[in-house]
Amino acid sequence: MSEGREIPVAVYAAQFDSLAEPVAVDAGELIVDAARRGGVQIQQPCGGQGRCGRCAVRVESGRVRRRSLLRLSPTDLAAGYALACQTVVEGDIAIVVPPPERIERRLTTDHVAPEVAVPEGYDAGRSQSVRRVVLRLVPPSMDDQRDDWARLETTLRRAAGVERLQASLEQVRGLGAVLRASGWEVAVTFDTGREQDDAARLIRVQGAAEAAGRPLCGLAVDIGTTTVTAWLADLATGRVLQQAAEYNQQISRGEDVISRIIYAGKGAGGAELRDLVLDTINGLVAAACGQAGVDPDDVVKATVSGNSTMMHLLLGIPPESIRREPFVTAMNHLPLLRAGEVGIAMHSDGVVDPLPGVASYVGADITAGALAAGLHAAPQTTLFIDVGTNGETVLGSAEWLVACACSAGPAFEGAGIEHGMRADRGAIEEVWIDGRTYEPTCRVIGRARARGICGSGLISLVAEMFLTGILDKAGRIDATLGTPRVRTGPHGAEYVVAWAGETESGEDVVITTVDIDNLVRAKAAIYAGFTVLADATGVSLDSVDRILIGGSFGKYINVEKAIEIGLFPDKPWDRFDYLGNTSVRGAYLALLDREARAEIARIASAMTYIELSADNSFYEAFTSALFLPHTDLSRFPSVAAATTNGG
Amino acid sequence: MALAGIQIYKLLPQTNCKECGFPTCLAFAMKLAAKQVELDACPYVTEDSKKQLAESAMPPIRLVTLKGKAGEARAGNEVVLFRHEKKFFNRPGIFIRVADTAADEEIAVTVGAASSYAVDYVGMKLGLDGFAVEAASGDKARLAAVVGAVRAATGLPLILVGRDPEVLAAGLEKLPGEAPLLMGADGSNWEAVADLALKHGAALGLSGASLEELAEMAVKAQEKGVEDLVLHPAAEGLGASLALNTQIRRLALKNFRPLGYPTISFTSGGGPAGRDAVAAAQAVCKYAGFVVLDRFAPELVYPLLVLRENIYTDPQKPIQVQPAIYEINNPGPAAPVLVTTNFSITYFSVANEVEGAGLPAWLVVTDAEGMSVLTAWAAGKFDAASIAKAVKGFGVAAKVDQKLIVIPGHTAVLSGELEEELPDWTIRVGPREAVDLPRYMKEVLV
Amino acid sequence: MPVEIPKDSWPGAVNTVTLGATGDQGGSRTSTVTIGGERSLPFMHFESPMPHRPAIAMEIAPARPADWSAVLLEAWGATADDPGSWARACEEAGADLILLQFGLKGSGDEPVSADFAVAAVKAVLGSTGLPLVVVGPGQAEVDNSILVPIADATKGERLVLGLCEEGNYRTLVAAAMANDHLVLGKTPMDVNLAKQLNILMSDMGLGRDRVVMDPTTAALGYGIEYGYSVMERLRLAALQGDGMTQFPILVTPGAEAWKAKESKVGEGTPAEWGEWRQRGMNWEALTAVSLVEAGAHVVVLRHPESLRRVRAAIDELMASETA
Repeated sequence: MSEGREIPVAVYAAQFDSLAEPVAVDAGELIVDAARRGGVQIQQPCGGQGRCGRCAVRVESGRVRRRSLLRLSPTDLAAGYALACQTVVEGDIAIVVPPPERIERRLTTDHVAPEVAVPEGYDAGRSQSVRRVVLRLVPPSMDDQRDDWARLETTLRRAAGVERLQASLEQVRGLGAVLRASGWEVAVTFDTGREQDDAARLIRVQGAAEAAGRPLCGLAVDIGTTTVTAWLADLATGRVLQQAAEYNQQISRGEDVISRIIYAGKGAGGAELRDLVLDTINGLVAAACGQAGVDPDDVVKATVSGNSTMMHLLLGIPPESIRREPFVTAMNHLPLLRAGEVGIAMHSDGVVDPLPGVASYVGADITAGALAAGLHAAPQTTLFIDVGTNGETVLGSAEWLVACACSAGPAFEGAGIEHGMRADRGAIEEVWIDGRTYEPTCRVIGRARARGICGSGLISLVAEMFLTGILDKAGRIDATLGTPRVRTGPHGAEYVVAWAGETESGEDVVITTVDIDNLVRAKAAIYAGFTVLADATGVSLDSVDRILIGGSFGKYINVEKAIEIGLFPDKPWDRFDYLGNTSVRGAYLALLDREARAEIARIASAMTYIELSADNSFYEAFTSALFLPHTDLSRFPSVAAATTNGG
Repeated sequence: MALAGIQIYKLLPQTNCKECGFPTCLAFAMKLAAKQVELDACPYVTEDSKKQLAESAMPPIRLVTLKGKAGEARAGNEVVLFRHEKKFFNRPGIFIRVADTAADEEIAVTVGAASSYAVDYVGMKLGLDGFAVEAASGDKARLAAVVGAVRAATGLPLILVGRDPEVLAAGLEKLPGEAPLLMGADGSNWEAVADLALKHGAALGLSGASLEELAEMAVKAQEKGVEDLVLHPAAEGLGASLALNTQIRRLALKNFRPLGYPTISFTSGGGPAGRDAVAAAQAVCKYAGFVVLDRFAPELVYPLLVLRENIYTDPQKPIQVQPAIYEINNPGPAAPVLVTTNFSITYFSVANEVEGAGLPAWLVVTDAEGMSVLTAWAAGKFDAASIAKAVKGFGVAAKVDQKLIVIPGHTAVLSGELEEELPDWTIRVGPREAVDLPRYMKEVLV
Repeated sequence: MPVEIPKDSWPGAVNTVTLGATGDQGGSRTSTVTIGGERSLPFMHFESPMPHRPAIAMEIAPARPADWSAVLLEAWGATADDPGSWARACEEAGADLILLQFGLKGSGDEPVSADFAVAAVKAVLGSTGLPLVVVGPGQAEVDNSILVPIADATKGERLVLGLCEEGNYRTLVAAAMANDHLVLGKTPMDVNLAKQLNILMSDMGLGRDRVVMDPTTAALGYGIEYGYSVMERLRLAALQGDGMTQFPILVTPGAEAWKAKESKVGEGTPAEWGEWRQRGMNWEALTAVSLVEAGAHVVVLRHPESLRRVRAAIDELMASETA
């Protein structure tokens, strides 16, 4: 440009809704620049690269040119939305800057787990196996010298059509006193079993007055290798009264099922593991009952779901054969049990129903999960991925179901990670990183100070580190970036996600090279699992209509981020549904409905288990997935596009 | 075409009755797809399904079995072009050529040495498969005498090479009840040789320089009723031979039936030194069903037998290294003893890290059936007993001063039991990942 | 009967790579070697002619190697005492290029140093006009410490520098790009690992015409089948259009075969193994030819007679135009 000669520049006025006066804008300037000059705060977590969509504003009037339409739907465009960091001002304009929360909610690619709802049309009288009836017994007399039991049984038969009733010696011992103390007016709680002609099991006889107004409750329990979850439900209404989850105390004796099996085989190891998981469950029962104001004695039925090893350990069955060739369990379809013999701190004569599994590495958590996900009734081919420690996958439809498992480790549940935690208050659950400054923006559950990173936070964090070039495709941290966020720690290179001043503990929250390796291995195992499963059955992933995700991520998982690290197949986001913890949901459905329980048994019998270790194919698939997002980038076209444009 | 598991499943009753011995119909279907079970195991399959499944199961390359007085040589039934796609099934038979023009004594020496030849390769006994007796003299009585002499010395299967059906017939007289291969039929004489093969139950070899010629003869021989055919693509030079053999295999796998037969390759003993070895090696790798060598020499036969064994190894099995004690960077008696499994990638990563860091060490590789440390440990194939067995079996104690053994970090739980199994040794738990080994060895293990 | 010859047509091709640079091209070589460029499986001339023949490199060391088989040292005689004369002998024997392999030791018992290595490379470049591959001992730090100075001292020669592995790829790729050299990427016998290293190197901006890969092979009897299948798979992937597998392949059958007991020693071996020298030559030649047929573009050999045999085989394989 020659000296002294000015090119005439059109100057426009930008009116922001929060400002009294318009801001002067040069032609070709971005909305964010205008905003900055006017002192208007617009969030830019990704550093103005048009990746995150968090800077969306509404252009009420005037001419603008949108360089990028990423993250803007046709509806958004019609409403005037534009990305402030990607939109050029070409006339006088009026801009509304919406509050960040609103944008966050509108733009999110998070898939939110559905709220728990009582199954439509739930009718305890028809579906529930547990019943409580009030009986007025004719007192005995010299003319009627029937024994107490026969008196109870005949009255019950007449009142409730119960043909056979079973009781324990203990129950018989206490029967006479209760009948007499109650003046022969009693409430009898019993379970009618799984099948139509099963004998009923007596749970409890109490005075009618005493029982009046007391709820009849049940528990749905999922024993995960890493996390145990319990839901307390009112059996009459079906409503979930309380949900509780905690790390499985067995973790201290080994992070994976194999370590637990080996530990169980040594001396009193099995008994110890049983005590630990019972402590965990009973802690949850006590907490849930306490919060709901329910007396644990009113909890009369529990359905228990979990992988085969967890089931064995809970019941004190030696699990050794699970890990040794040819990998068999002691029992896949277990009988109904008494709470007292199992050791769950509910009514001791309550019924415990362990749900059925398929094989050593595909247990009740998956059959229950398949029920909750509706796989058994799916008209089209559906993929169900349980993103957890044992990485189970089910593929199929109403016609057929195949399942496999692969050891992913506990990373997705936040365990085995330097600053990992469960998806709980204080967990970083989403991260954006500015690609120029490498500075992160975090979303923390409960908007609290950061305590650690949960599974979805890890996925989000690693995806962002990868997209911004902090990680290479092999998952190695680039130590030459010149940001204080990247430094050398005791385990090699690490990235600081939150400085000490921002955290609850007052210590930095970091992600280490080892954490990243763990996460990459975990995602590779899961990706390899479902790809090999599809190959083995001759089904193309392209022909899969729906992808259902289960897991303990808390409320959300961000499918986009999970695709970016290569955990999920690169399919349109709307083909995914996040279902949350499907195992406990399945257990809950079985708790309420005898027919659902029978459906799980049918699923368990029909599901075909595929052993991944049978040949090289799993290993091949695993090593090719040990890369970000994958060694074969053509499987991830959306990530390829993001890394070439953005990087 | 072979069907995938789901396609087969749709032809099955889908009742999950378990009578076949598998938990579900789909599990059975997948075993069928992998050809690991017979359809007969299902009592309820319909005739229509049976027919459909049988068609898909028909091998694209016919299995041809040569039978001697003792022993057989099988070729065919191959299903892939590249071994990694599944595996190569029937190792090509390696035969030694004997011309009836040679002196009796020379023939006796060659046949004696070659038929009794046996060499040990990683615990397996490898040997030759038979002899190709060539009617070079053109004399009926001479061929019959030589065939008789060979047959007296060995029971291995034979190939009779000659263009004159009458001479070949004289040789066949000496091989009652056997199924030899008659080699020498071409466009001019194939019909008479085919009659001979039919009469005797012998396999018929067809020679031709082009695919057209071979296919035409094969179709006509089939029409005549000869089922066991062997193709000899006669080509000069390694390049032409490679092209013809590849084309035949490709066409056969595309279910082009006229060429759906095993092939045979003859290596000429002439030419520069080592040329026959190279040609035979190409035949072993690239699709021959039978390979005929012009001479017998252990330094020629041994590498070929090893190559054949290698190429026909099942590639679906995990890649293993030999369980042994490996020396890294010339370890002395002060070097530490590291333990890992015999999965090749595991071995490579450990050996490369330590070797790359220039640290001397003894690396004990246990027999974990080719599983990685974690998998083997999970399946009980890498435990205190197996480590102790390896340490004792490989005589590790005699190689070191300090009895210090480092186990992988993932299997820390084994240390207690291992102390009991190896009471004289100090057990140390190493890092979980091989990449951390050099630092561990430099900083912790001093 | 008419038979339609089954011709595959592939969407992809192997990269064409030229090793060495002549005076006009900024180097000092009198000849260059160009490899790759195929659009078909090895020697399937009926589908697509092979534009370049596989090349044979002869391996030499900067000093007479102590651990080589007596058969080899006998064949090379006194020329093996000095890298310059050894390289010249290789050229005279008919090698297409030279591979200079460094160990951990330099002169005498001293650890290998940059000065020692640069001097050896210069000696080889001075005594032969063939292109040169220079390979370090395979320890990331040592490799970097000699290869970076070598790269600097030989700018423009289009040497192939190795070993480039996941641990040191950044340094080596940078040195090669700055000095107009090529890189030899080495990965342990796994298709995915080979591809991953190629991706990492390419992500640094290294040109497709500057990478040769060594996916690792073993000798006959010692796992040749694994390397063989990895190479076949890499070649198939390359032809199917997977850009990160399209780099030409260099493998070292000579070193592998002569490490095997069958070749290395002549005493105390079973009689069934046969005569030592012929056996050793067969071991090397069979390993090499099998790998050439599986898709190798450069085979590195050790014995001059194997060189003759493998060259003859390649001549025959290239000659055929018959279909």
